[in-house]
Amino acid sequence: MPSLLVVIFAIELVVQLINTIGAATINGLIWRAYLALPTPLAKEFANQRKKQKEYLAVRHDLNATSSQDEFAKWAKLRRQHDKLLDELEKKKSSLDATRTRFDRYLTVARLLSTRGLQWVLPMWYSREPMFWLPYGWFPYYVERFASFPRAPVGSVSIVVWQWACTAVLALLMEAAVGVLGLVAASKNAKKQKQPVPVPAGSAPAGAKTGKNDS
Amino acid sequence: MSSAALINVDDGDAMEPTLQSLLDQRSLRWIFVGGKGGVGKTTTSCSLAIQLAKVRRSVLLISTDPAHNLSDAFSQKFGKEARQVDGFDNLYAMEIDPNGSIQDLMAGQTDGAEGNDLGGMAGMMQDLAFAIPGIDEAMSFAEVLKQVKSLSYETIIFDTAPTGHTLRFLQFPSVLEKALAKVSQLSSQYGSLLNGVLGGSGALPNGANLNEMMEKLETLRAAISEVNTQFKDDRLTTFVCVCIPEFLSLYETERMIQELASYGIDTHCIVVNQLLFPKPGSDCEQCTARRRMQKKYLDQIEELYDEFNVVKMPLLVEEVRGKERLEKFSEMLIKPFVPPS
Repeated sequence: MPSLLVVIFAIELVVQLINTIGAATINGLIWRAYLALPTPLAKEFANQRKKQKEYLAVRHDLNATSSQDEFAKWAKLRRQHDKLLDELEKKKSSLDATRTRFDRYLTVARLLSTRGLQWVLPMWYSREPMFWLPYGWFPYYVERFASFPRAPVGSVSIVVWQWACTAVLALLMEAAVGVLGLVAASKNAKKQKQPVPVPAGSAPAGAKTGKNDS
Repeated sequence: MSSAALINVDDGDAMEPTLQSLLDQRSLRWIFVGGKGGVGKTTTSCSLAIQLAKVRRSVLLISTDPAHNLSDAFSQKFGKEARQVDGFDNLYAMEIDPNGSIQDLMAGQTDGAEGNDLGGMAGMMQDLAFAIPGIDEAMSFAEVLKQVKSLSYETIIFDTAPTGHTLRFLQFPSVLEKALAKVSQLSSQYGSLLNGVLGGSGALPNGANLNEMMEKLETLRAAISEVNTQFKDDRLTTFVCVCIPEFLSLYETERMIQELASYGIDTHCIVVNQLLFPKPGSDCEQCTARRRMQKKYLDQIEELYDEFNVVKMPLLVEEVRGKERLEKFSEMLIKPFVPPS
């Protein structure tokens, strides 16, 4: 069992990550990873995708066939089209249900392992000191606060440690997101700028870019 | 022009281009003849009835088309009761009105004590009739079945109305069944409560009675599910599609065949009517042009419906009316027409 300090920190880190990335995105990623495994379910989904492709091909053919000139071919395609559509629809509902169930399990597991632990651990270990403050460095009310709610005075309680972790991680996350956003924005700006080099002092920019585009 | 070659496509495994298979299938009880308006449904059903009458003990021809044509075709007045067709001793015909029969049904209910105009039970039934699509047709078929069961016809031919959804009601018993199950469950659960509200006899606002209503619905459901099982049995029932070699007719036929397949009704016969066979050397411009178009769609039919008996009937110069002409015409359902060459 790693130290509680580390565990609390890790939980807060995970929570922050989930909050930043988004639960839906994570669910989607895990779902895709799950489908990449060689399970029967994955095979079913692969089949469904293949069928969808087939369906689109048939629909394309159907649209390309004149019902007046080649009625037999058109009607056969139409039958195939209707059959595939029917199968797809039928399968879709069951597959969608699987996906919803999967999402639900995932959400429950996620909530238990983050929010659940976030509440249970501080309650369980509320009387245990995480670490001790150097004696006499802080006034009493600071020590009292640091041991909130039930840890021995003079120590840092699990709740306070949690708060500290949350605050620091939130700051760091914000900074990281900001920096990443900046980097991405500058990259984008460069990309957008590059294809339209407008020499300074040239005649109407609109005409120039128009020429460049064509 | 090789019109003879077109007619005789005997590839060995090809289905024969006649309705002989219907005559041979002795177990057939119900034969529907359907298609869009104006393609020759009535002529075809009359001809088929005439041919069947030759090999069956007794045949009944029923028209459910509100625009009754049987009387025209046989030049004889038919009504709601089965009547023997002049010149045949085992062929009977009747004309029923799908809309009329439900009104009769409702009229029959108002005979009771609360028999004011459409109050009570009849009002409820009317609401019901308009609330569920196809229920009026279903009820009229149920009614026909009840009538016909008591008589002993070996085969019954339906000349259906051209409204493409003649058999729409076949998909509906399951819906009604579910609804009924729900209602009866409710009434058993909240029956006492309802009775408290409605009074001891379970009378509904309009003078109808809850229990009576439930009973009516239950009998209705039973009747319709009986029709259903009969019509979905391919030993008992088949559907003959009638069309003309034109795009829209073909399109509707294809849709009808798919629809029938989805209801589980057997169909393996197509009658292609009004084929033009201009005499060799004919200089009728319209005829040859039309013939070319017909040939195009005929080829498509051959290709698409290779598992069907595709019967090709020529367009005659006279109207097919009266016993003799119908008899002559009906011959061609059994012996393929050979165009003059």
